[in-house]
Amino acid sequence: YGRIPASPAVRRLLREHDLALEAVPGSGKEGRVLKEDVLRHLEQGGEST
Amino acid sequence: MADKFDVIVIGAGPGGYVAAIRAAQLGLKTACVEKWIGKEGKVVFGGTCLNVGCIPSKALLEASHKFVEAKHDFSDMGIEAGDVSMDVKKMMARKDKIVSNLTGGIAGLFKANGVTGIEGTGKVVGAKQVEVTDKDGKATTYEADNIVIAAGSVPVEIPPTPLTEGLIVDSTGALEFQDVPKRLGVIGAGVIGLELGSVWSRLGSEVTVLEAMDSFLPMVDSAIAKETQKLLKKQGLDIKLGARVTGSEVKGKEVVVKYSDAEGEQEMTFDKLIVCVGRRPYTKGVVADGVGVGLDERGFIHVDDQCRTSVPGVYAIGDCVRGQMLAHKASEEGIMVADIIAGHKAEMNYDAIPCVIYTFPEVAWVGMTEQDAKAKGIEVKTGSFPFAASGRAMANNATEGQAKIIADAETDRILGMHIVGQHAGEMIAQGVIALEFGSSAEDLALTCYAHPTMSEAVHEAALAVEGHAIHMANRKKRK
Repeated sequence: YGRIPASPAVRRLLREHDLALEAVPGSGKEGRVLKEDVLRHLEQGGEST
Repeated sequence: MADKFDVIVIGAGPGGYVAAIRAAQLGLKTACVEKWIGKEGKVVFGGTCLNVGCIPSKALLEASHKFVEAKHDFSDMGIEAGDVSMDVKKMMARKDKIVSNLTGGIAGLFKANGVTGIEGTGKVVGAKQVEVTDKDGKATTYEADNIVIAAGSVPVEIPPTPLTEGLIVDSTGALEFQDVPKRLGVIGAGVIGLELGSVWSRLGSEVTVLEAMDSFLPMVDSAIAKETQKLLKKQGLDIKLGARVTGSEVKGKEVVVKYSDAEGEQEMTFDKLIVCVGRRPYTKGVVADGVGVGLDERGFIHVDDQCRTSVPGVYAIGDCVRGQMLAHKASEEGIMVADIIAGHKAEMNYDAIPCVIYTFPEVAWVGMTEQDAKAKGIEVKTGSFPFAASGRAMANNATEGQAKIIADAETDRILGMHIVGQHAGEMIAQGVIALEFGSSAEDLALTCYAHPTMSEAVHEAALAVEGHAIHMANRKKRK
């Protein structure tokens, strides 16, 4: 399918903050990025790409 | 000298037969030992679940539910069925046929996967030795590099109500009545008691359920449990909470049950009494003394998170170890253990095991209840949606119940899903998947659900977590 698995909520957060999925460390199954990972990343002043 | 195997599984219930099939698929030379004698006098696979548990009870629940619908609901839909009647013997024969189809099916799967079925009673007599005693008392010892104990469970018996042939029965006997008892007593308002009570209540029994605990379904989310209790009461199940059975007396073809409740000593007379206060692990005589497999104080085989016993190479799974006594839990443990034996790093997520009660409406849940979360000090947000507001539920004539989602107030991660309603058992898979994927409530809210379906209640409950449900007025959310 070619897309890194991520949920609709994660994709939306990423879109809204111009973030790439690859830029966010994931804590879910097999490194999957969860909504809370994106929130944490943003809180810690995560870089926009 | 008997054959040597890579894996010998003791017990061919949902844990054992699945473990055996998986192990064989992974290229291990596997045998599965079973002693269960079926109705035709031959050894049958499938364990409690297939023979006297999940499958037969569901067959009777489905048939009795259709009967009730035909009797009470059809005319509102314009269907005039006349005087509907139930032939109990025919209903039972259908159930027996389903059971024998399925148990035969497992024998077929064993064959297809190259699992050796061994008939007899298995006993672990050494770290790598299983002794099997056949029905004639002949013992054979098999060597195995790995042993999986999947011995299952049996109904708990209580001193005040000793089982009496055809009168005081356990769950197995309750699946065999050949006619409808006029007055039926059920001891225990757990999953089994409610399901069996429902079957016979639908067919015309006056059912009284005596439950020693004061709370109804304490493991269920309290909002869901409360609604379920109301619905079952409306159906005619007389559920008496805080009623402790103290004794019983068989008088001819009746049984008098004595119990005490808040008002003091009480007495009731029944035509049949079902004892279903729980199940206990079946571990007596499964492991020889001196092998070193430890049991806990309740008779469960002591295992770690990977189902390893205290003896290397010996595993135990399913009802005879800690955890929920559920068929799918046993099967998943069986798969995990087979994978581990084959050299994989397998683990199992014990936090996402669904539970279902197959009453009507069904009750299903996964993950934390609201009271669980509170006890753990987790701040939660919840969203609920009643089936009364669901178009599909109206069309289906099944507007009872609700779907409820519990999410972490901070992260929005779904912690639990709880449903009471038609097909709740099917719908709960969504909650299981959500938990497995670490889904937030918003994830489900942003997912497109087919319309009109019962599952839309889950979608709306997810929307309701943020106060954005479409098809009902939302409660004001505290900011």
